[in-house]
Amino acid sequence: MVTPHGIQLAAYLISSSYGDLCSKVCECLLRRGTLTLAHVIRYTELTRENVINCLRVLIHQNCVQAFAIQQEGAYGVAPRIVTQYMPLFDNIIHKLRAPKFMQIVSEELGNDCLEIFQALIQHGRLSINQIIDRNKQTADSSNVDVVRESFNKLLNSRFVERCPAPEPFLPPPSEDEPTTKKRGAKSKIAEVPKTTEQLALSAAAPMESMRFLMEMDDHSEERIEESSNSTTPGVKRKRDDLTSEEDMLDVNEKKEVLWRVNFEEFVRRLRHKACISYVKSRINDEAGIVLSAVLELNKFSETRQKAENSGYLSINAIYDEVIKKDGGLGMDFERVRLSLEQLGCQTIENGIDESYSIDLKGIIEMAQNEEVESVIMKRYGREAYRIFRLLSKTGRVLETDKISDTAFVEKNDTLKILFKLWKDNYLHMEKVGVGKLTFLMWRINKEPLSVHVLDEMYHAVLNLRLRITHEQDQGKEILSFPREKLVGELGKKYKLLGKVRVILESSLMNLDEAIMLFHDF
Amino acid sequence: MSKRKRPEKDQPGLVDSEHAILNAIKARKDNGIWVRDIKLETKLTDHVVTKSIKSLLAKNLIKEVVNIQNKGKKHYMATEFKPSKEMTGGDWYVDGNLDKELINVLKQLCMRFMRAQKVATLEGVHTDLKKNRVVTFEISSQQVAEILNSMVLDNDIIEVKSTGLGDYHSIPIGATCYRIASGIAARGLRVGAFASIPCGACPRISICAPVGVISPSTCVYYTKWLDIDF
Repeated sequence: MVTPHGIQLAAYLISSSYGDLCSKVCECLLRRGTLTLAHVIRYTELTRENVINCLRVLIHQNCVQAFAIQQEGAYGVAPRIVTQYMPLFDNIIHKLRAPKFMQIVSEELGNDCLEIFQALIQHGRLSINQIIDRNKQTADSSNVDVVRESFNKLLNSRFVERCPAPEPFLPPPSEDEPTTKKRGAKSKIAEVPKTTEQLALSAAAPMESMRFLMEMDDHSEERIEESSNSTTPGVKRKRDDLTSEEDMLDVNEKKEVLWRVNFEEFVRRLRHKACISYVKSRINDEAGIVLSAVLELNKFSETRQKAENSGYLSINAIYDEVIKKDGGLGMDFERVRLSLEQLGCQTIENGIDESYSIDLKGIIEMAQNEEVESVIMKRYGREAYRIFRLLSKTGRVLETDKISDTAFVEKNDTLKILFKLWKDNYLHMEKVGVGKLTFLMWRINKEPLSVHVLDEMYHAVLNLRLRITHEQDQGKEILSFPREKLVGELGKKYKLLGKVRVILESSLMNLDEAIMLFHDF
Repeated sequence: MSKRKRPEKDQPGLVDSEHAILNAIKARKDNGIWVRDIKLETKLTDHVVTKSIKSLLAKNLIKEVVNIQNKGKKHYMATEFKPSKEMTGGDWYVDGNLDKELINVLKQLCMRFMRAQKVATLEGVHTDLKKNRVVTFEISSQQVAEILNSMVLDNDIIEVKSTGLGDYHSIPIGATCYRIASGIAARGLRVGAFASIPCGACPRISICAPVGVISPSTCVYYTKWLDIDF
């Protein structure tokens, strides 16, 4: 889901980290979808050199993925291979979350690992040798073994992963297959044939067995890199006039294995955290403990990026995990069962064994609803809140009078509220004519609604970021004073500035969690 | 309303126009009729219609009623009919207005009962309300259900299926019952992350832009928000 304000936010994030030129190239790709170099140059009106440099930065920072496809030539002209560049919207937005990721690493693995991780966040992609070199420069007492060990820890926790292939080649679809839609990365239609972009991403991704594997032998690394690069053996690449461009952008020139942050793992962890905290607040702490136990057990079977139902787990396994948790020691089978039931689990009972599966998607959906309802309450008041919840709970069209009767809102007020919500894109309205009479029917369209809310939230994040910059600019003068001069009035102002910043930053982080709830979970 | 016979031949002391109008009004039964429709149906002049209505009102043969669908339009109905649900708006309406006070009192009563019981079924609440004679009128189970439903919408209580365990021991397994929201939700509505910053509550967010008339750096809501917290 790439929304207009999402693009604005992404462009802002890129501009504040890598400058306006990169931001321009990135925005162009986000707005127009996957493009060739020539198209990027034409649309951005930048020089070829500038665009190439920007793309290099963006690829290195994991914000753009290149891939090659075979393009049909005109009549009599042989087909040629062209390189396409696709923006990776999610990775750009993940830049916003770096502090959160760093906190997770530091809490779990300590400072040595954090340092390496920070370097990866900053530089996008690094080889192990680069990490060691960098560590030599920054730390006084650098020990190669310590660095390697820390890196392995990061790898074992799946916080870092092998970089994808720099430019996988996508073979043209075979004749009998329907041609996949080009430039459809943003299409919401979840058709079975994947979009070109999805195919490119899966072609670029390293094999699952290699993804978190550290090879000590440099020679073998080379071989692996080679094999993962040429995903389609037998297809000879035609590199004619584009060779130079590709070479310039080839970040893996030295064929050294490059590593990057594995955002998927962090998203997964944050998702679990969000689910547990929601359940704790909604049901009780015990349900939270049980859920965290189930998630822990389910950890390695989760393959998809989005939330899905957990696999079926036996009550015994769940109980064994529950008693390991903080506060879980005192729980007995009966209470675990009760919590599982409160969590809305599906049960299978066959003879002696009883198994449960947790509907994570349902939990996420409830949390999303709560977020939207809370906005409705703040923006439109309690009566609107009641009406909105009614429509959201029924999940089908309702007529104005029916809404008014059930939600206990005056008929006239009901209509006013409904129109307001409709105008702001929170509701869907249909006019139904029966004879002379027309009835207004209202419904909540879940999909477009969450896209709309998400877009507003991106907008709000951008606003928070801009306000932070604004406040900093305002306080520039005070910040330039030496610390000891900040007394009396100035000291007060200095403190105020700090407080404002804390409020804005913490709101930003909280809001980001809500965004992840809608976009990533 | 039972089906009535056509009006008797001669209402004593009525002139022709009054007859025609009375028939038109009676034909609509408990739905009432709008003055304009009377004029259209009887094809009488404004003056005659007004005069006849006045006379019929005086003879207590018709009455004026409020129609919830359109409070501004004058509606008339024969005295023997009771306004239909569509006209009055239903049980919760008094003179065309929603009886919010009654609803709130009932909600509070239900809430008090729920607090004491923790979990209750619709029948439980209904019986309690009837037993304690807290309401002066005969309250139906349907009405109680409506009250409880609106409390669910308010997020004061939640609808659950009985598990037959713990608090639910007196309720058969699988029966629909209501309980007070637990956890943080019990201490009031959880304010979402988006709703707790000015943008979440902002009615003008759609026209806000970095370099617009409304922009985050000049936003008054922000200024107010950041000032309040100190």
